[in-house]
This record gives sequence, C-alpha cells and structure tokens, in this order.
Amino acid sequence: MEQNNKPVKYDLTFAREIYSLENGSYIKQCMQCGMCAISCATREIMDYSPRQLFNLIKLGKKDEVLQANTMWHCTSCCTCKARCPRGVPLVDVMHDLKKYAIENGYADYPQAAFYKAFWSEVAGRGKVFEGGVTGRYYLIRGLDEVKKAMDMKDVGINMLKHGRLPLLPPKKVKGMGNLKKIIRKAQELQRKEAR
Amino acid sequence: MEKKIAVYICTGCGIGDALDVDALSNVALKEYKADICKTDAFLCGKDGVAVIKNDIENEGVNTVVVAGCSSRVNADVFNFGPNVIVERANLREQVIWCHPADDEDTQMLAEDYIRMALVKQKNMNLPEPYQVENLSKTIMVVGGGFTGLTAALESAKAGYRTVLVEKEDKLGGYVGKMYKQVPLKPPFTDLEENCIPGLVKAVEEAGVKVYTSATIAKTAGGPGMFDVTINQNGGTVEERVGAIVLATGARPYDASKLAHLGFGQYENVITQSAFEEMVAAGNMEAGKVAFIQCAGSRDQEHLPYCSAACCVESIKQALYVKEKNPEANVYVYYKDIRSNGQYEHFYKKAQQAGVIFIKGDVTAITESDGQLAIEADDKTMGTTSEADEFDLVVLANGMVPTAAFGEMIEEEAEEEAAAAADEPKVVGPTIIKSNMLNLEYRQGPELPELKYGFPDSHYICFPYETRRTGIYAAGVVRAPMDMLSAMEDAAGAALKAVQCVEATAKGEAVHPRSGDMSFPEFNMNRCTQCKRCTEECPFGAINEDEKANPLPNPTRCRRCGTCMGACPERIISFKNYSVPMIGNMVKAIEVPEELDEKPRILVFACENDAMPALDMAGINRLQYNPWVRIIPVRCLGSLNLVWINDAMAKGFDGVLLMGCKHGDDYQCHFMKGSELAEIRLSKISETLNRLGLESERVRATTVNIMDYDKIPAMLDEFAEELEELGPNPMKDFQ
Amino acid sequence: MANKSILVVGGGISGLTAALEAAEVGHEVYIVEKNPYLGGKVTQINQYFPKLCPPNCGLEINFQRIRKNPRINFFTMAEVESISGQEGNFDVTVKLNPRFVNENCTGCGKCTEACPAERANAFNYGLDKTKAVYLPHEFAFPMKYVIDARACKGAECGKCAQVCEYNAIDLNMEPKTINLNVGAIVWATGWDPYDANKLSYYGFGRYDNVITNVMMERMAALNGPTKGKIVRPTDGKEIKSVAFIQCAGSRDENHLKACSSVCCLASLKHATYVREQYPDAEICIYYIDIRARGKYEDFFTKVQEEANITLIKGKAGEVKEDPSTKKLVVIAEDQVAQEVVEKKFDLVVLATGMAPTTAAAKVPAEMAYDEDGFLVSGANTPGIYAAGCVKNPLDVASAVRDATATALKAIQSTVRGQQ
Repeated sequence: MEQNNKPVKYDLTFAREIYSLENGSYIKQCMQCGMCAISCATREIMDYSPRQLFNLIKLGKKDEVLQANTMWHCTSCCTCKARCPRGVPLVDVMHDLKKYAIENGYADYPQAAFYKAFWSEVAGRGKVFEGGVTGRYYLIRGLDEVKKAMDMKDVGINMLKHGRLPLLPPKKVKGMGNLKKIIRKAQELQRKEAR
Repeated sequence: MEKKIAVYICTGCGIGDALDVDALSNVALKEYKADICKTDAFLCGKDGVAVIKNDIENEGVNTVVVAGCSSRVNADVFNFGPNVIVERANLREQVIWCHPADDEDTQMLAEDYIRMALVKQKNMNLPEPYQVENLSKTIMVVGGGFTGLTAALESAKAGYRTVLVEKEDKLGGYVGKMYKQVPLKPPFTDLEENCIPGLVKAVEEAGVKVYTSATIAKTAGGPGMFDVTINQNGGTVEERVGAIVLATGARPYDASKLAHLGFGQYENVITQSAFEEMVAAGNMEAGKVAFIQCAGSRDQEHLPYCSAACCVESIKQALYVKEKNPEANVYVYYKDIRSNGQYEHFYKKAQQAGVIFIKGDVTAITESDGQLAIEADDKTMGTTSEADEFDLVVLANGMVPTAAFGEMIEEEAEEEAAAAADEPKVVGPTIIKSNMLNLEYRQGPELPELKYGFPDSHYICFPYETRRTGIYAAGVVRAPMDMLSAMEDAAGAALKAVQCVEATAKGEAVHPRSGDMSFPEFNMNRCTQCKRCTEECPFGAINEDEKANPLPNPTRCRRCGTCMGACPERIISFKNYSVPMIGNMVKAIEVPEELDEKPRILVFACENDAMPALDMAGINRLQYNPWVRIIPVRCLGSLNLVWINDAMAKGFDGVLLMGCKHGDDYQCHFMKGSELAEIRLSKISETLNRLGLESERVRATTVNIMDYDKIPAMLDEFAEELEELGPNPMKDFQ
Repeated sequence: MANKSILVVGGGISGLTAALEAAEVGHEVYIVEKNPYLGGKVTQINQYFPKLCPPNCGLEINFQRIRKNPRINFFTMAEVESISGQEGNFDVTVKLNPRFVNENCTGCGKCTEACPAERANAFNYGLDKTKAVYLPHEFAFPMKYVIDARACKGAECGKCAQVCEYNAIDLNMEPKTINLNVGAIVWATGWDPYDANKLSYYGFGRYDNVITNVMMERMAALNGPTKGKIVRPTDGKEIKSVAFIQCAGSRDENHLKACSSVCCLASLKHATYVREQYPDAEICIYYIDIRARGKYEDFFTKVQEEANITLIKGKAGEVKEDPSTKKLVVIAEDQVAQEVVEKKFDLVVLATGMAPTTAAAKVPAEMAYDEDGFLVSGANTPGIYAAGCVKNPLDVASAVRDATATALKAIQSTVRGQQ
C-alpha cells in the first residue's frame, strides 16, 4: 500500500477515461465510506480495497490502479454491490476495469490470461471446453507456466475419473454465425452506452 | 371581590386512609373559617365535580381549594371558569405518596398544606388584564433579504398589516445577488431559479408597506405599541407596530483574515459571494476551480462554529461550473460534507456531475503564471496531495450575523463599582450596538447575543424564546442556517409575532407564562430609586427616568416576578402573586416548639422544574423528610429576601431554594432566576450571622425535572446538617 | 362556511408545538395522537443535545400550556381515517381506539398491582415488561392508565376492574368514530427508527449486545429499563468499551436515502452518557462525515475535548459476535490509517436513522411523497401541511421551528378559507 510521504498529484485525465467506461460513471458517486472494503470476500488478499481503488482513480494514479490485483481477485459474489450505500455496481465496475486493463496492456495477472482463454473458447465454439480453456491459458502464460501445469495433473486426472473433464472437445453450438452476430451487436451497444 | 371560600378534600387515592380527614376539615373550618368544607371519596369524578359546581352556582362560592392531587393533573376537571379562583393543596403526590400513612408528621404536613392554600387564596385576587391604548397589530420586519421578504409575505398572508424596512435601496439581500439557488423542495437535486424577484413581487401584491434605503433610528414602547422612527432619504417616518421580526441576515466572514489561503495575495482566490456575482454577471470562464470549505468556519482562530450553509452552497456553485462547462475540473476540499437531510441527494448529484470531493485540510495555496496550486492532506488516501493549474479558488468563507457588528455595551463602570463594593452581581447578557433596532430599553439598544453575536434562543424546545418580548430574530441573524431552514424560520418568527400581538391585545403574557393576565404593579410612593428592578429584569421591561424611577412596560413583561424579588421596599406585586402572599404562607405554617423536636425546613421550589420533580418523587413513592414544607414560586428570581426573614423569625430551622441549573447551559426560562436568588442569599448571609443565625441554614440548590431520585437524599442531608447546627435559636420567640 | 379551527395529527414535539402555537394565536385546535399519551418520541429521549437537558422539562411546560388553554382539544389512541373537503372546510373522521380505562382514572395505580398479565414495554423498545394495564410512563400526559388488549386476559380475569375504586375500567370498551370539521390540517406524525433488522451485517436481533440509538436513550434514562445504568444487555454487566456505528441505514440507497441529520449529534451525546458512567471506557465512533452543523459544532468540539472519544473515519462494514464472551467485533476500514481494523467491544450502538411514518402509512388524502416517503407539504391538497420529521429529518429545535412555521401556514389557510 502506498504510504510514502511524497505528495500525490491529482490528474483527472485518467479518471475521465475510467468514468467513461460502461459502468465507470458510477464510481463518481462513491462517497468514500468503505463499506465495500469490508463486505468483500477476498479483501485480505487485495492490495487496494475498491474504495481505495476509486480514490486512486480520482487521483489519476493510472499505474497503481491498473497494476492492482483488486479487480482480478473480485469473485463477483455481489456482496459489495448489494451493500454499497451509494448504489455503485461494484462487480460491473470491476469487470470494466479488467477489460480496460487488458485492452491497455496491463495483463500480467494470471486471471487476465484465464479471461482471455475463456473468452476465446466461448467466442470460437459457443460453449466452454475445459481442456481448451486450460490449453489456451497456458499458451498465453508462456512456456514456464506449462511446466507448472504438470503440478496440476492429479487434479486433472481426478476430474477425468469423475466425468468432470471431457477428453474431447464438444461440438460447436448450432448457429455459430448468429451467436457471433449477437456478440458483435452487444459489443456495439456497450461502446455506445459507454459514450 | 368578596370571597366565599370553599374547601373540598378528596379522600380518594388513599388520602382518606392515610390522613385524619376530620382534622383537616377542622383546619379549614375552625382555624381558617372557610365558608364550606366538604369531603368526597372521588372528587375528580362527575359527582365530586358536580358538588363543587353546585356550590359555585347556588352557594355563591367563588374561591375554591381542592385538597387532593397535584395541579399537574386534572387541571381541566377543576377549572370553573375565569371568575373562580382555584387553588390546589397537593395531598397526594407531595404528602401521602412520599410520607408514611397514619403518621403524626404526615398529618401535620397535610394540615400545613391546607393552611398554606387558604392563606394563598386570601392574599390573591383575580388578575385584570393590562390594556394598551391604540394597540397596533402591525408586524414590522427588519431586513429585506430572503428571510425578511418571506417573513413579511407570511405575516401578510395571515391577514396582518406588515411593514418591511430595508437599509439598501433594493430588496433582495444576499440571496438577491445569487445566480441560482439551492433546491428547496424534493427531489432536492436541481438548481432553482433565484426566487427573489418573485418574492418581491408577491410581497408588493400582498400589500406590505416597504421602506427601502431606510434604517431604524429608534424603537420605543413595547409589544402592541412599539413606536418606531424610520429614517428614510433624510426624512423620518413614524410607524406604530405590534411586534417585530429581525431578519437582518449575516455577512460573509472577512476574507482578509484568510491570508493563509491566499486571499488578498492572489486575485484568483475569491469568496463564495464574489463567485456568485461573477457567475450571475456571466463572467465566469474558469475551466478548473477549487472550492475550499470551512474557510474560517470550524476554526478556533476564526469562527468556531460551522456556518451550516456553505456545504450545500459550494455544491451548488460547483454545479454552476459544471453547468457552464461539463468538462471543467472541479474540486471541493472539505472536512466533513454537511449535506444534512435530503441534501444528501444534492451531494450525490454533484458527484455524478463529476465534481471531485477531497477530505483534507488545505496546507498551502501558491500561484505561478496566474494559475493556482493547492497542497493539502488527502485524509481518505492517507497522504498529502498537490493539484495545480487552477483558474479560480473559491473560499467558502462562512457567515457572521449582522448583529455581531458594533460596539459592545460597556457595563464596566457599574461592574467596577460593584467589585469595589465587594458585591456579587449578575452580569447581564452582552448587547452589541449593531444599530439595527435602536431600542429605547434601559438595558441596551439591541437583542442580547446568545453566543458569537447570534441573538438566538437558548432553548431547544422553544427556539423563539426571545429575551425581548415581541421581537423575534429569524434566519441567519439568529443562527447559522441554510436557505431551507431560513425559509421555515421566517414563517416561524412571523407566527410568534402574530401571536404576540394577539396575546397583547387580550392582556395576556406570552411564552412561557402564556395566558397569564397578571402583571406587576408598582406602588411608586415607596420607591427609593435603587434601580434593582430595572437592572435585574431579564426582559428589559422596566425603563428608568432621569431620577431613576422605574417606568414599567407591562406589554414587555413575561411575569416572572424577578422585579418583585429584587425590590427591597416590596413595592412590586401581582394581583395573584405578591410578597405578602408568600410571606403569609410562610407564617401560616405551624412551627412546633423546640421541645417537640420537630424541626421545620422551608423549601422554595421553582414551579417549572423543581415542582414537577417533587411530584415525580411522589409518583415513584420515594420517601423523604416530613419536616419539609414546599412553596412553589414562579421563578427563584422572584424570591424576596423578606421571606427568608419571615421564615427565620417564624422559627424555621432551615430554608432551601430549589431552582434551575445556571451557568452556560442554564435552564431558567427567565434567564438567571436561580443565579439571582443565590446572589441575594449571599448578601444576607452576613446579616444572618450577625443575628446569631448560621448562614448555612439558608442555601440554594439546583434541580432538574429528572433529578427526582436525588431529592430524598438532598432533603435528608440538609435536615441532618441542620440537626447538627441545632434548632433555630429564634424558634420560641415568635 | 369556512372554519377557523385546525386539526393537528400527531402529538409529538412537532404536533404539540404546531397545536400550541396556533391555539395561542387564538385558534381552536384538535390534536389526534395514536399513542395513549402526548409527547411522542421525545418522551423517550434521556437528554437533548447540546445542552444535555431533559426533554421532560420542555414537555412539562407544553403540557402546562395545554392545561391552561381551553382552545386545545386532544384525543389519544386516535387515528385519522378519512379526510374530505378542501382548504377552509375539511371533514375528518377520527377513530378512537379503546383505552379500556375511562376518564374516571385517577392514576392511583391499584389496577397494575392486581393485574396478572404482562406485556413487552414498547416505551422501552421491549427492553423490559409492564403489566397489561399500565401507565405508559411516569410523566405521561394525560396521567391515565391504559390496557393493552393483546396482553389483557379480558373480562374473565377482570382483576383490575375489581380493585378499581373509581369504576374506571371498562373491558368492553369499543372503538368509536368521531367527525371533525376544520379549516386546515397539520400532519405531524413524525418518524420511526429505521428497522435495524434490515441491516443484517450488523447483527441486530441476532446479537443481544447490539442495540440501537433509541434503545441507548432508554438505557441511559433514569425511568428506563435499567434505571439509567448503561450495561451489556446479555448479562447486565458494566461495559468497558462501546462502538457507535453511524449511518446505520441513513445515507444508504438500499435503506434510507437521506441523511437523518441528528444521528451524529445523538451519538456524540451518547458518548457523554457513557463517559459520565464509565470514566475509563473506550468509546469509538465509526463515521462517514460528522454532521454537527451550525452551533452544534461547539458540542462536537466539547465532546472531543471532554469525552475522550476515538473517531474512526470509515463506515463499519460488519459486526461479529464471539459466542463465548458475547463480545462484539466491529470490522471497518480506518481510512486515515489506511487499514482494516477489527476491534472488540462490549456494546455496539447502531445510529439508526429516521424513517418518516408516511413511509408505512400514507395520509388519507391526495399528497406527494419523496423517494424515502417523506411527506411533501402542500403540493397536491392545499390546506394540508407537513410539519417536523415527517417532512424532513430534523433535530428537535429545528422540528419545533418547522412546526411553528407550519402553524402559520395552517392559519393562513383558515384566513383564505374565509375570503
């Protein structure tokens, strides 16, 4: 956590970018009460609480915000969103921040790789194939990570035994073309709304 | 009025079981020769009341003693109209509920209360209301800003002729110069158009007589008959008015004292009001603006109080910037955002518009190339911060009531004289010569300040409890407040003004003794011009002529009796409350001889707080010392020292005064009643000592209504201490 | 024919004030109060901020004013059922619920001694019990007993009626309806404490040592369930530490959207109660903003100087109970220290806010309400005015000011009605 004595300098440029994300404008409503910091299930492993993250956005601390693990540890449990006294939809904001971080090259967290892998699976097949997601994930993470994957082999075998991990990929969904259209449309809408 | 006296003793609620009622009847009939004495097992029941009514109608009874429960209950049941005097002897709450049944001492106590009630009645008369000649019901409002205009309109709408006096050539005041105003109605999110033009029009249409460029040279008289001299354009106009609303507003805190925030040093550091005018004039082009809250307020070096309106006003002004340029960068530096109540919605609105709120103290403001930079603490980040390139810094510089500007009244000469004479003296409230009303009052020309120059009420329950009857402060001259509060305050003060003229027309007192028709009468033949009454009247009701003769103004009077208590010659009395009345009650109490070993303690209890507390002790069946005899007084300020003499001469072993708490958080509705009484006591201690009477026999204590649990110990301890002193040496010489 | 009389609905400090101020101008006034006594919420308050003086003092003066003023009529246990007509001429039906004790009651209290049934004492927020026939509280005005029909065993018991020497008990009393014709109506039904059960994360209702601010008032009051001693509800023991959680419901879009205006000052005041009884107790206040406006700032300053409190900037997020000790753990993000703090307390007081009574029960006339249910004055039906906390969340002095102002509005309606 940032605790040095050097004054921070406010810069609204970054904040404006974040506020223009789909749910970004809700961040402006934050009144710095700190309810989210406590209601969060994974608060102990977050380096900034959502409240602090919103404050950093306000200050213009782009690197701190986008390098933070906060959004990546969000499990979308929705407790913070349900309790936020200002009605900030924190889970949605976290999704926006993750997307923004990836788009801006802040994708060092393994979660980011996982998100990418998961999305490629869905976009390419219309459904999720666990083996595919895993494969894509390790490829994105790089060779070193593949070695680590071997540590997980027991888990994999166990899942196979219990029928939780199919060996072969499933068929694509019917009407893949239509699904792509739907996704394109949704992305268009999202961009429009964010403006 | 020829009195025909009837005593009714209720034997219900256990009174009949605990007391010898026949003996009580004997006191009434034989000792005091009452015309009628009856007992009833259920006096407050229909049949019991019918008995009394029958005696009033058919036997000519016009003076009634009800010996039973406390006057706190069944007041309506035992009300027989304005022409019948009713006195209650409290045998229930203050006798049988707090003393053992079938007990000699309890019986003696009850008998004494019957005696006291009978003597009290003999010494009182029905009051005759004071009537004013050429009474005016006109309401005068001083100050033509938002509050004054609202008060004038509200009073006119209630059907009263209204006069408005404004010192500027134009109505509108501070709010009149605003670009827009904060929301005054749900949803409390939208800026409202300035209401002043509409308000001015409504005031004119309602027929309010408006004096602009006018000041008040003199306000003489009192409620119902204030004679006001108004200076206007070099001439003078006289107006007779019934009551006054003081709505002269506030001024922004002097920003030149805020050099630490760059004011005076950098021209782009401006005040809230300057910003308002800049926007109203269409000259606000800034793209980056900071608002600094509590610039002066909440600061022991400047204004210790919070100015209440600045948070919502700054939120509004921040929205001006955003309204003009949604891309503008707007920061608000604050200690706490005080958007109370539904203004929470307004706060959120500004956040949504992109205004950045920073909890932090500004530590430095600097300038380079015409742009300002701010250093501050960012409390929610736990760090220090910087921001620069501000085009404007707006200081929310708080407010100071107009009543705070002027010379303080010098009482030093008198105080020095008092100090030289080694006489303790109650220091009167501070009056600042703010030149707003110029009252012809012996005690100074303006409303006394409560604190920080605000002439506010000291009471939570009674925010319009003014110290100058018929003059009600409203809006930001009374207390720091936002426009929503000022709007309500204007109407509230107008109501009180209207109420005062109506009560005065009937010859009735206003709060807290509302409805009281008695007023002090002066037997001037015996006046020694000592000035005690004129000095001590908490309401400035008594003026003085050059020879120091008191000149009472009964319509200013609140009927507390402080003048009566102050007068060493005992020339001041009310029809139903007088020095002889209480003195005779003291004398009516039977004081047993020394050999009987039954000491007597006299308690003078304030009827507002101490009396209900004593009742509460009874309701809770707390037992206390049976030697105590309690006499209620309107206020301890009405305590005349001769009563102490009477008590000592009669053989009482001790006297205890039970009054309200004094000091900063005083509870006395007549300001300093209990304090005055204590000072008077201190003055006689020497005399007592000289007479061989220990001054410890007479003492004062403070009691609030919730202290009832402490009363038994309070009385018992006093009784023990008196026992140590031994009996009053004058006991058997009466 | 226009009517100069005024109906005031609600006999709390706002209603009493509106009624008294109008009556002292000279108008006939009717007060309709749902409780068996007048005074409303302030009767349950131990002391007012900032003077720390007892509300009963001012109430006593107001009751005195009622006693002396024949123009004031009041009905307790009463509620307005319907309103018709218009400004200057409203017809109102009022339901009078049975008290089961008639005007013969002398307040002697024998009935209570005889009564075998008990009820939870609503006046003390259920912290203790009274008999089924009870005096609402010792300062009750009118000082008449009342029977709680839900707790009373009825005519077959009848012990109270047997001992009453004044024939004051009527167990067969039926509700009555009366009609009033008035020129204007003041709606001053006040507020309810926000239901703390809805704030599940603070454990109210599950953990007995979590109480609300209004319960704190009763606990500190001499005539309250603990005779004024502030103790842990679970074992009645002295406390060593207490936490005040601000904005428990207020400033919260899921609960009360508005700020309740008084809770900051109320908690600061509660800190003085605790400090007086426990010179060494730890007192923490968890807050978002401390809202001590105007001259109340002086009180904030004074409490900080004298009561030795710890202010923690950060809304408390959760309260947990240690089941063995019944101690409570308050978890919050201390923003100044930039860390999550978990502190243990003997007692947690939730500063629950003001929900307008009109959030639950609307005015039987066409009126407008804001998003929290606060009544908007005079918007749709001229002649019906909101006063006090049913309109805005207000402290007592402000509510009295507002009620005084509203009395004038009502008078104006009767003036207009005459034209």
